[in-house]
Amino acid sequence: MKMEHMSKLEQILSRGEFAVTTECGPPRGADSEVVIKKGETLRGYVDAVNVTDNQTAIVRMSSISACTHLLNIGLEPVMQMVTRDRNRIALQSDILGAYSLGIRNILCLSGDHQIFGSQPDALNVFDIDSMNLIRTVKTMRDEGKDMSGFDLKEPPKMYIGAAANPFADPFEYRVIRLAKKIDAGTDFIQTQCVYNMERFTEWMRLAREEGLTEKVQILAGVTPLKSVGMARYMSKKVAGIDIPEAITKRMGEVPKEKAIDEGIKICLETIAQLRDIKGVSGVHIMAIEWEEKVGEIVESAGLLPRPL
Amino acid sequence: MNKPFKPKITLFHCINSFNESASLSLNGANNVEIKTVRLPCSSMVKDVFLLRSFESGADGVLVLVCPEDQCRYVEGSIRAKKRVGWVQNVLDEIGLDGRRLSIRNTSSGNGATTDKILQETVAVLTDLGPNPAA
Amino acid sequence: MIVGEQKPLAEIKEIVGPYRKLLILGCGTCVKTCFAGGEDEVATLASALRLIFKKEGQNIKIEEFTIERQCENEFIQEASEAIGRNDSVLSLACGAGVQAIARRFAKIPVLPGVNTTFIGVLESQGVFTEECSGCGNCELAIFGGVCPITRCSKKLLNGPCGGSRHGICEVSPDTECAWQLIIERLEALGQVHNLRCYISPKDWSSSNSGGPRRLVREDHII
Ligand code: SF4
Repeated sequence: MKMEHMSKLEQILSRGEFAVTTECGPPRGADSEVVIKKGETLRGYVDAVNVTDNQTAIVRMSSISACTHLLNIGLEPVMQMVTRDRNRIALQSDILGAYSLGIRNILCLSGDHQIFGSQPDALNVFDIDSMNLIRTVKTMRDEGKDMSGFDLKEPPKMYIGAAANPFADPFEYRVIRLAKKIDAGTDFIQTQCVYNMERFTEWMRLAREEGLTEKVQILAGVTPLKSVGMARYMSKKVAGIDIPEAITKRMGEVPKEKAIDEGIKICLETIAQLRDIKGVSGVHIMAIEWEEKVGEIVESAGLLPRPL
Repeated sequence: MNKPFKPKITLFHCINSFNESASLSLNGANNVEIKTVRLPCSSMVKDVFLLRSFESGADGVLVLVCPEDQCRYVEGSIRAKKRVGWVQNVLDEIGLDGRRLSIRNTSSGNGATTDKILQETVAVLTDLGPNPAA
Repeated sequence: MIVGEQKPLAEIKEIVGPYRKLLILGCGTCVKTCFAGGEDEVATLASALRLIFKKEGQNIKIEEFTIERQCENEFIQEASEAIGRNDSVLSLACGAGVQAIARRFAKIPVLPGVNTTFIGVLESQGVFTEECSGCGNCELAIFGGVCPITRCSKKLLNGPCGGSRHGICEVSPDTECAWQLIIERLEALGQVHNLRCYISPKDWSSSNSGGPRRLVREDHII
């Protein structure tokens, strides 16, 4: 039996509605209940849930299977796929498999280097880069061909996403890279978490100038801070994160027991500002291992009810 | 009764850093046996010379160099220090103890300092005992 | 050049342990330049091993010999007598040298004394950097002379990942981001348009992925 349904995320974005997505990290174990439980707390609050692919190079339940568990309880997953661990043969095979299971969204990434993970002694693959993964999915979808040019029976009609980091260097080049990803076939972009609004606004302005916001749906990333320690750790240790001093200071100025509330407040202010930026089509709330807060954030941000 | 341990020391020195005839007191010391190797500049101490001294039975090796700012060949003393540091690690790996090898600054004609350095070296070697690979 | 590093003494001691007559064979080309396996290193290692074995009361005879290149028959021949009178060879050449020696002396174990690390350059006195992966299909022209396959930790061909910060790679504070270098270089060359080019997936068949490679120069075969 064929499952011919369209990505819900795609429908929402193409109707011009402000989308809300979030993230779910699969467990370091084989228990599907963990995924299902996380999924249940998100039900009704978001349009789609990204499922990470061995995030930070730590072995977890595969993205494809955790996506399937979410599908089974009626949630829409975005399957993240990194090029770190699989060569082009395995990537394409898993794309076909994912589609056959009902997965309709994919986020194409290069992936964190394994040096950050629990098994830094692993061989990395990086047979193709994220740009080429995007193009591969697009060719499979639009031309119905795999990378060898072979005609696929039942091409996978994936809605194609990619990541962008407006805060990485060199800044001037970041928009060129975005343009390249769009050319390669990206339908939607999820950005690195926004704390530095100034830089993000500037990046969006450049993107608009190049006409990129006409061609792609941009979902801005946000992550609520839990404490001043987390702010410091992220800005120092997590590659590609830029937290301005003012934000860290704000987190540090409230008493410890109020830190969580302050973090959520900052997050809500950020979302409100993002909604006003032309070309921002939605938010992507990343609260890994803190999924229960997502509902509260979406509700307080006035983003409920979610469209059907 | 055991004979008291009389360490054998091979002394590498740069002709500029130390003048043998000026350091007569050395010959007077009777608690140590010294073999000297003169080099035009201490930077010529190669790893292998230092190791071979131990092979030929030295209990300790001492390299005397000019103070860094007085080296005629500018980097000679710095280079020598790096070589010595490297060989000290090798000695540790061998299990001979890197402390058997040391490098010290001295300037020509300063017999008193040299004497002091030598006695300090003897003290270290007395602690360590004879070269186990001799 | 090929860059290598001598194995730790303890490991060398372990692998030569079973033998009584050992030839330490140096190579006077690449590994000499990187202080891993030239004549000086042969002498130092031989001395250190003699000290170790003497200290432990073991009787192992060590001979030292260095040839110009261990990857060429002509030079290997010079060592054949010395190899013949020992019961083992510790080669301080790169992995190619070790194998070249091994395949010519069927009955004598040829042991590696060096870890062959990469194809690189002498960046400054005592510092060597990896520059080339030997992929068999050089694309440096489009990347402004900086190889992303070798120098980008993720082999990215279409621009920097999101971890590039202040010119430093996310993988280590000691590693320059290859893409930062490529961008700067292309700017200096007035070729920034290259950055907009889409670079298709690399054909790895010319690399080691296609199996061990062989180069034949008919014009040099008589
Ligand atoms: S930071 Fe630069 S060199 Fe490092 S993986 Fe990313 S693009 Fe490659």
